Order: sequence, then structure tokens, then C-alpha cells
Amino acid sequence: MTSAETSTIGAARQAAAAGRTIVAFCCRECAYAAADASANARTPLPPTVRLVLLPCTGRVSPLHLLGALAEGADGVMVAGCLLGQCHYREGNFNAVDRVAFVQRLLKTVGVEPERCQMFTMSAGEPPKFVAAVREMDRVIGGLPPLERSPQAGAHAGTAPAAGARGAA
Amino acid sequence: MPLTDRGRKILERVPGGVLHSTTGVGCEIVRHEELCVGCGKCAANCPSGASKRSETFDVNQLLDAPAESRRGQLGGALRRLMKHAPDGPVEVPEHVTVYRTIAYDDDKCLGCGTCVRNCPVEAIDALPPAVTP
Repeated sequence: MTSAETSTIGAARQAAAAGRTIVAFCCRECAYAAADASANARTPLPPTVRLVLLPCTGRVSPLHLLGALAEGADGVMVAGCLLGQCHYREGNFNAVDRVAFVQRLLKTVGVEPERCQMFTMSAGEPPKFVAAVREMDRVIGGLPPLERSPQAGAHAGTAPAAGARGAA
Repeated sequence: MPLTDRGRKILERVPGGVLHSTTGVGCEIVRHEELCVGCGKCAANCPSGASKRSETFDVNQLLDAPAESRRGQLGGALRRLMKHAPDGPVEVPEHVTVYRTIAYDDDKCLGCGTCVRNCPVEAIDALPPAVTP
């Protein structure tokens, strides 16, 4: 086990102790590459964040975002390419609108819409990725813990599979 | 029962054309909004433009949807998070297509049943027209 892996596990434990989790859905072409570069440069990320690799942020559905929140995440962020630079042409435009839709859903039922946010960056901007994660961490840290009602019905375990995977 | 746009144009062309009542010709359309998946096939195929995808979404459609459906899964997640009942319909961004409420204009509906045939989840029923003696 490399020291990087050990420190990731340690960070995850710290985050669990702190009781905050942020799930970051990252585009493979830009944000994940930026995360990779920032890790290679040994830039410390907030221990609360969990990265989920997506081929494109256009893959993200409202169910991923709400499911992650319902299953234990305190915040979700979507990190994609700069607008107009999507490798699949308009995947990140779809993601922007889905994030806006989830924010409106959250707002209408009395949950802080800041818990779901979209960030854009290019693969060559690791500092921008780190800044986005720190910004998200700061926002979530300032909010009260997310309250959830107990699971109702037998279906509730199936929906947020993506979120559960992201948190693992 | 109204005419289609095409029918109205033809009626204008007919010299001395008189519209006779067509009441009771079409089926009575009954919609089950909780089963709707928002595919928009009813709106795409409606000959009279009576059903349209609206720009808003009634959040209660998520909460009432069957648990195993996609909307039901989203509703289940939302139900765990919600602090109070939804404030009302939400505005839907442009690129979100399926989470939209289908708006029906009963005044325009012909009762033809095209929406019933095109609905993939049988969320619309057509009842036979009432027979008037």
C-alpha cells in the first residue's frame, strides 16, 4: 500500500469522525485529471471529499445527486469542463441544468440549495479544482448537519446506488 | 368539443359553412398523473395541441409516483430529505426534459385517444363517450 493510499484512508476516517461528507462527481476529461494532477503535486484536499469518476458530467442525473444526499452525503458537487469545452459537446450544459433543477427541488422542500453545486474547470487547472473543493467544504461546514427521515418503504435502498458507491 | 386548427381553417373556406355540435363524439380522457414518466409522447402526437410539456414541474408527482419507477426513486430520496411539503411547482431548466408536468387543455381536447395509444406506461385511459338518448 502506497503512502498516498494510506493517507487517503486516514483522511476518510478523519472525515467520518468529523461527520461531514462531500461527494464530488468528476468528469474524466477535466476535473478528474485536475484532481489527479493536484494529488501528484501533493496538494492537500479537504478530507471530507469523495471523488466519483464519470465519463462526462452529462452522465449525472438528478437521482445521483439527490440519492447521494439521501444516503449520507452532506453536499454533492459536480465538477466538469469549462462551458463550451465538453468533449461530448454539450454534456456539461445538461449537468448545469440538472444541478439547477436539483437545487430548486431542494429549495422547495426546505433544504439549503447550496448543498448541490456545479463547478467548471479545465484539465490544466488543478488549483481551480482544489479551490472548488475547499469552497464546497467551507460552505458545507457552515451548514447544520443534514437531517434525514428514516427510510420509508422497501425501495429506498435501490435508488441511491451511485451515491453509496461514491461514499465507499 | 372544439375543432382542430385544420378543421377550423376548412370551415372558414366553406361558403355558408355552419358548425354542427360534435358533443359526445370523442372519448372521455382520464389521466393518472402519478404514473406519468414525462416522456412527452402524448404531447408530441396530440393532433389538437391539447397536451403540452409545460415549463414547470409539480414536485408532488415525484412523491406520489410508484416506488420502483425512476420518478418514485427520486421521490423516495426527496422524501428522506424534505423538511416540509413542497412549496409548489418548480421552474424546470431548459435541458431537463423528463421532469416536466404535462399540461392539458380540456377545451382543446378532441377525445380522439391518440395520447392513450402512445402512452408507454398506461397513465391515460379513454372512456367511451356517454350516450345521449
